[in-house]
Amino acid sequence: MNVLITGISKGLGLKTSESLLRNGWTVYGISRSKTEELNELLLQYPDKLKWLQYDLGDAEKIRQIIFKDWIGLDTPIHGLVNNAAMAYDDIVTNLNLDSLEKMYRVNVFTPMMLTKFVIRQMLLHHTKGSIVHISSISVHTGYKGLSMYASTKGALEAFSKNTAREWGEVGVRSNCLVAGFMETEMSSSLSDNQKNRIYQRTSLKKPVDVNSVAETIKFLLSDKANSITGQNIHVDNGTI
Amino acid sequence: MDNKMEVKILEIMNTVLDNRTKKKLTVLSPEMHLRNDIGFDSLDLAELTVRIEAEYDIDIFEDGIVNTVSEIFEKLNSK
Ligand SMILES: NC(=O)c1ccc[n+]([C@@H]2O[C@H](COP(=O)([O-])OP(=O)(O)OC[C@H]3O[C@@H](n4cnc5c(N)ncnc54)[C@H](OP(=O)(O)O)[C@@H]3O)[C@@H](O)[C@H]2O)c1
Repeated sequence: MNVLITGISKGLGLKTSESLLRNGWTVYGISRSKTEELNELLLQYPDKLKWLQYDLGDAEKIRQIIFKDWIGLDTPIHGLVNNAAMAYDDIVTNLNLDSLEKMYRVNVFTPMMLTKFVIRQMLLHHTKGSIVHISSISVHTGYKGLSMYASTKGALEAFSKNTAREWGEVGVRSNCLVAGFMETEMSSSLSDNQKNRIYQRTSLKKPVDVNSVAETIKFLLSDKANSITGQNIHVDNGTI
Repeated sequence: MDNKMEVKILEIMNTVLDNRTKKKLTVLSPEMHLRNDIGFDSLDLAELTVRIEAEYDIDIFEDGIVNTVSEIFEKLNSK
């Protein structure tokens, strides 16, 4: 199994990569920075973990740099995890167009272009592949300050469902993993008070376990999930 | 029409048709319509594009619609 995953330098992407590597899969991971933890993982899996430094804000050079020069068109790809994202949060009346466009490039346009080229590679190698987009509970439950961010994830959910319908007949699956609030760098700017208010809205009343999300991503990529497509799978501590 | 290219394109088209358990072609002629005569649907055409691109590094559908076999050769010869 060869899996392309974005945002592997920290947080969920790092945990998911670890989990996939433990399974013996090959991971093609992308991020801008090489953190201490990523470096350790690279030393631990010198053959199975491939890393590319790339800024996903650049959707133009994806085909050349990621697919032709790095992965190579001869390598079959079995899975794609669109995990990298940024959160531009503010109230709507402060909306800044440049920040919004930047976030859409990283959270929506690049994931769509990656999906395009991954499906093309799946067609070329006749692989039944699985695509997982990381979405957020903010699409389904409103939070003050997250309108713009949530809209990028809502776009991905719609894209995923329609991709599933379009490509199902050649065996390509597409699902969204709807994550609740996890303790990562992305949520580190929230105050304890804000975090507690968020956790109070969940059934389990605590942060979502990153490992639980990573294991679910692995499951969706695997053949065990071969009848699951076009779905939003919530791993959110029961935000109901 | 360049004969080597014609043989290659015929081979690629038959791979796509075979993958989708559709009837293979014995000959290729320029006026053939990809959908109406050969029987490709949009997903077949996607696979065809990808396979031609892997061979010639040209995305035949990138700018505009290609309907017939001769239009594929025009695209491939124009670069
Ligand atoms: N944390 C939460 O509470 C939460 C809740 C719901 C959903 N999510 C979603 O879960 C996913 C993972 O988030 P996380 O919490 O793990 O976030 P994180 O800790 O901030 O990690 C984000 C990852 O994405 C990479 N990345 C960001 N921008 C990039 C760019 N322009 N180019 C290349 N890589 C880029 C980062 O690497 P570099 O900085 O090294 O480039 C990093 O590896 C995201 O899709 C997020 O929206 C998070």
